[in-house]
Parts: sequence; structure tokens; C-alpha cells
Amino acid sequence: MMQAFIDSLWATAQGLPVTLAIWLAAVVAGMALGFLVGALRFFAPRAVGWPLATLVETVRGVPFLVQCFLLYFGGPFIGIDLSPVMAGFVALTVYGAAYFSEVFRAGFMAVPQGQVEAARILGLSRPATVWRIMVPVMALGVLPSLANLAVILIKETAVLSIITVPELTFRVQGVGTSTFAFAETTLVLALVYWALVEGTAVAARGLERRIERALAA
Amino acid sequence: MSILSVRGLHRSVGDTQILRGIDLEVSAGEAIGVIGPSGSGKSSLLRCIAGLDPIAAGSVAVEGRATRPGDGAIGMVFQQFNLWPHLTARENVALALRLVRKLPAREADAKAEAALAQVGLAPLAARKPAALSGGQQQRVAIARTLAMQPRVLLFDEPTAALDPELTTEVLDVIRTLAAGGTTMLVVSHEMGFVASLATRVVFLDHGEVVQSGPPATIFGGGAEPRIQAFLQTYLSRVAWTKA
Repeated sequence: MMQAFIDSLWATAQGLPVTLAIWLAAVVAGMALGFLVGALRFFAPRAVGWPLATLVETVRGVPFLVQCFLLYFGGPFIGIDLSPVMAGFVALTVYGAAYFSEVFRAGFMAVPQGQVEAARILGLSRPATVWRIMVPVMALGVLPSLANLAVILIKETAVLSIITVPELTFRVQGVGTSTFAFAETTLVLALVYWALVEGTAVAARGLERRIERALAA
Repeated sequence: MSILSVRGLHRSVGDTQILRGIDLEVSAGEAIGVIGPSGSGKSSLLRCIAGLDPIAAGSVAVEGRATRPGDGAIGMVFQQFNLWPHLTARENVALALRLVRKLPAREADAKAEAALAQVGLAPLAARKPAALSGGQQQRVAIARTLAMQPRVLLFDEPTAALDPELTTEVLDVIRTLAAGGTTMLVVSHEMGFVASLATRVVFLDHGEVVQSGPPATIFGGGAEPRIQAFLQTYLSRVAWTKA
């Protein structure tokens, strides 16, 4: 039994960097893509917004597990042949972007119209209004939701084990399958994810407070 | 020669006609007080002149040129101040100077300080809106507009969102500007202020100009019955006297 724990910890050490790397990359890329989609849905005409809305709803309506399968096993049929890690990164980015885009869209909607009109009358360009006024004004409101989503995405990385991404779950479960110590390995897995989520949640709250101080009075 | 020329201005929302053919010529240095009942189209008139609301027909021109929002011809002060909450008073005033007028940061800051001094707020330049009173916020908003030196200033109920004891400081600033020859249109429910400030008063009802004339006429005996009724109701509310 002790051996199972030790093996699990070793597997954790191997899988953790992969989990963190995919998660971080997907959060950054997903937020960027989500901001773009959210901004387009807010600003662009319906002809652009409507297809994007359909895409977002589709991604949000299909389980992440199924999306991973579709991309990894279905992708090659339409010429998208990705390695497990790349497929995992892309799937998590798209999945995150769908949710991030809704947070950003709501953020844009929450900016008081009068503050935008003031910018317009003073002659600020549209991009200047977005970057200098709308984004900072909405930042405080959207930060908690963004942080929350980012933390949720950590847990979703476990799903990537199903398409053989050598991340945390995949590695530690590997120990379980070879030693039949499923309880011990799963316990280690649960504790590691819990520590990760708590750690990032605390870090996110700290970041929130710093940005709050920078933006608020 | 008029500086602001509004001709045949129409605005509708759906089937509702908000403005039904407003004509208004404003000469340089005039202070026009726009009064009228709630829903008469006062704010809509200002928003259409500013280009914030689309017009169905008619034209707005400043010094003979059609205007569009942001071309610098028209400045607007809003009921809700609409300061940008993440920026200090100085930054609120300096932002457009830097981004639109393309002034170097130091020059923009100096101009912003000067504009804030003009409304008596130089010592509070480093404060963010949340750390200012409503009256101070509105004065920052006025400074922000002044700094861009628009040809015509629009005030849309500038004191309606303020506690009564804070209105005086804002009204005093507007009064000083009017005395200094700033061309302005002021929508306000402060009748005493309008009477003492305006060179001309325009009374709107149902999207039309009912009467336009010097304050002495509108607030004196020469007003149309509709205006007299409106002022009676107003007086009974403000002075707690029976109409």
C-alpha cells in the first residue's frame, strides 16, 4: 500500500507539469479568444454575432468529454490530426473561451452607457473607448467570474486523460491500473486537485484585490 | 449670426414622435434655458443636437457645418456626470486631451489642472470620482468638457441627480461660464436658476416649441396658458403653496 502512495506521488510529479502547462496555456488562450468573441458579439452586427452565439451555445451544450472525443478521434476525418497534448490544449481553450466570452459580453453590457457616450462626445475613438474606458470599468465586475472559470478549468483537465494526455489523472490512474491500488491512487489524485484548486483560488483572490486597489478609489 | 442652427428636427421612437420639427437658432454667447414638462422632449433635443440619438428629419449645424459626435463642436454635461470611475479627476479631464487632441502627457495634465482650477477643484485633482461628492463630480465633468473647448455646451439636467445642498456649487459654475460668454443650452427644472441665467427660455411640450422668449416674458405674465399652468404646478410643488 505504501508503495502505491509513493508511486502515486512520483506519477504526480510527472503529470503535474503537463496539467499546469495545458491549463495555463488554455486559460490564457481561452481568455483571449473569449474576449474576442464576447467583444464581437457585443459590438458586431447580427450577421457576425448570430453565428458566434450558435457556436458558443453548441460548445456550452455538449459535455467536455464528448468534445474531446470529437476533436481527437473525429478530427482526423476532416484533416485535423492533433497529438493528444495539442488536442487537449485546443479542446480546453475552445471550451473555456465559450464561457469566458459570456463573462466578457456581460461585462461589456454592464458598462454604464453614459460613460461610453461621454467618451464619444469627447471624440475618443472606438478602440480607445474599449481599451481605456470599457475594459477597465468592467474589469472589477468580471474578475471574480474569470477567476472562478479559470479554477473550474483546472478540474476539467482531468478529462483529458481520456484522450491519453499524460497529465495528472492519466499518470496517477496508470499507477492504479498497474498496482490495483485504485483507492489509494484516487485519494492522492483528489488531494492534489484540491490543493491545486485551493492554491489557484487563493492566488486569484490576491490578484483580484491588487487589481481592485489599482482601479478603485 | 447664429453659432448653432437646428432646423426641422424630428425624432421618433417606434410610433411615438419625440420631437416634432424643432427650429432653434442660437447666437454666440447666448444661454438658452430649455424647460418643459417631463417627457416633453428636452433631453431628447439635447441628445439629438449632440448626435447621441438618431434624428428622423431635420439638421443640426454648428457654424454652418453639420456636426457629428466627437468632432469637438459640441460638449455635453450629463445628469449622471458619467465620469470614468477608474481615473482620477485629472485623468478624466486629460484623457481626451491626450488621445484626441494628441497633446503630450505633461501638457495635457497642465491643461487639465487649469480646467479643474476653473471649476474650483484644483486641490482634488488626484482624487477618483468615488472620493468626490456629487457636486464635485459634476464640476469635474464640466471641467472635462471645458478642456476640449467646444463651441456650444449642452447641460442635460446638470443638478437633477444631486442633493439639494450640492446644487449651488454646480449652478454657480454654470452661471460663471454663461457670464463669461460661453454659448450654452441648459435643460433644468431649477426654474429660478433658468430665470436668472438664461438670455432666452424655450418651453417645450409634446416635442414642440410652445414659446421662446426672454425669461421676463416666459416667467412673467406674457407666457402662453400652457406654460403658466406648468409654472403654477411647479411653484406649488417647490413652495408648498396651493396652485
